[in-house]
Amino acid sequence: MNPSRTPQQLLVRGAAYIALTATAVLFLFPFYWLVISAFKTQAQIFTLPPQWLPLPPTGANFVDIYREANLLRAFLNSVLTTGGHVLLALFLCSLAGYAFAKYPQAPGHAKLFNFVLGTMMIPGAVTLIPSFLVMVRLHWIDTYWALILPGAVGAFGIFWMRQYFHANLPDELIQAARIDGCSEFGIYWRIALPVARPALAALGILQLIGSWNNLMWAFLVLRTPGMFTLPVVIYLLNGEIRTPYGMLMAGGLLTTLPLVVAFLLFQRQFIAGVTAGAVKQ
Amino acid sequence: MSRLSDRSTIGAWWAAIWPYRHFYLFIAPFFVLFALFGLYPLVFSLYLSFVKWDGLTPMQWVGLSNFRTMLGDEVLRRALWNTLVIGVLYIPPMLGLAFLFAQILNAQWLKLKAFYRAALFLPCVTPMVVIAIVFGLLFSSEKGVLNYALGFLHIPGIPWLTSEQWSKVSVAILVVWRWTGYNMILMLAGLQGIPEDYYEAAAVDGATAVQRMWCITLPLLRPTVRFCLLLSLLGTLYMFDEIFVLTNGGGPGTSSLNFGMYLFNLSFGSFKFGYASCVAYTIAILVFIGTLITNRINRQRGGEA
Repeated sequence: MNPSRTPQQLLVRGAAYIALTATAVLFLFPFYWLVISAFKTQAQIFTLPPQWLPLPPTGANFVDIYREANLLRAFLNSVLTTGGHVLLALFLCSLAGYAFAKYPQAPGHAKLFNFVLGTMMIPGAVTLIPSFLVMVRLHWIDTYWALILPGAVGAFGIFWMRQYFHANLPDELIQAARIDGCSEFGIYWRIALPVARPALAALGILQLIGSWNNLMWAFLVLRTPGMFTLPVVIYLLNGEIRTPYGMLMAGGLLTTLPLVVAFLLFQRQFIAGVTAGAVKQ
Repeated sequence: MSRLSDRSTIGAWWAAIWPYRHFYLFIAPFFVLFALFGLYPLVFSLYLSFVKWDGLTPMQWVGLSNFRTMLGDEVLRRALWNTLVIGVLYIPPMLGLAFLFAQILNAQWLKLKAFYRAALFLPCVTPMVVIAIVFGLLFSSEKGVLNYALGFLHIPGIPWLTSEQWSKVSVAILVVWRWTGYNMILMLAGLQGIPEDYYEAAAVDGATAVQRMWCITLPLLRPTVRFCLLLSLLGTLYMFDEIFVLTNGGGPGTSSLNFGMYLFNLSFGSFKFGYASCVAYTIAILVFIGTLITNRINRQRGGEA
């Protein structure tokens, strides 16, 4: 309000900038360490004083992990399972979200929606063992299905898509399409989905991060090395007797990079998705 | 007669439902998947709470014996205690930092907002398994960067991951790093929901910055903070990846074993499916009741204010 700044104001702002910058540096430091360690030999990683830049840099870690851990295959497994999971989640959540937003007169609508929201209260820890047994019973252990299907359509995704359709898809548009003879699924597919692109991006990024980073479930349901996803490969390498840190950092970098890029590209949508999570309180 | 009326009620019901068949069709996938991966596990897990089973040999009905075992389970008690200590170690600093940075990022005069926000938030999107290994390097007692930096301050090296006293602190540091940005974003959204005129009116009345913070921001942000707190408490209880990787599943000894890790060991380490279900169920119900009670207390308090 006051255009001239008092010394006190300048002091507060200076302190704020210093605190923020210091924290940003501290928070980015582990990423920096990951990157430079990926280009160091085991000896370079453990020299004191620490090398702030890998001198000379080595690419051997990338070659080693490619050879020893079948990283390409793990990357492919991660891409296929995460891709399948995200696409399925986007389709099923938007379909159900659209239904809850646009058929409010359907008998039982409110009860069904409350039921969906209620399922958010169930902690995963309680259902873990039986879910695993379901996988065994379906013969889905060591298959992509075990990673793609469970959790593909959840209460949060449905809620998030419903809110978006409710606020951004005019009923007149649907009526007009109906009069033109468009099928109900056609309305969803050709009219509702294109409108929902921003909401789909946010939900997609949330699902992508959850699925790509998934360690515990992948560790439980995958058995043969050819099926392992990136987090499982990294975890198991870490457990070896003489931990190959250089290789781990190289693999870790390749695991982290796609997510960081995705986050930076879709930052706005992603943060919108996270804050929507707070609405469900 | 009654048959006829039955048929006509079914007919009427069908006539009411049929026009909305697409609605039911579109939401059906959720209910199918939920039945398979939600409802059935929930019911089966309840049943498992009363049996002894390793997943291979036949189940043995043991009644309430699992519950009795739980009362005397030293490791469970230890895990719950560790969960509490880790929570106390990281939740206050994390929420404090998140609140502070949300305040700063909400200020209009701040430049480079997008950069700062991205930098603080980036930890939340990264794979825990990778980051925990990086932290393992940084925390290394002899050759770690952290102890090297402490050396400049003439602080002797700390055995971050190798001593029972410090392992919980290391986990807490990792969690603060990982989740501060997430809570900051939630609080930022909460702050942006506070109407600007409140502050303008307060400024007209001559309220100082501290008074504005104390009388406007804090009370109005309370629901958000409460939500963050609930998420953090649940997160600490069920935390897994951090412990699994950073301290090799709760080490040294059981010094950083939290409830989530304990449950995992019980289920897939010693294959006590029945007992593990019993513990998971009991704790989940206790948490649920606790949440209900605090919600009620908060609502009553909110009503009085």
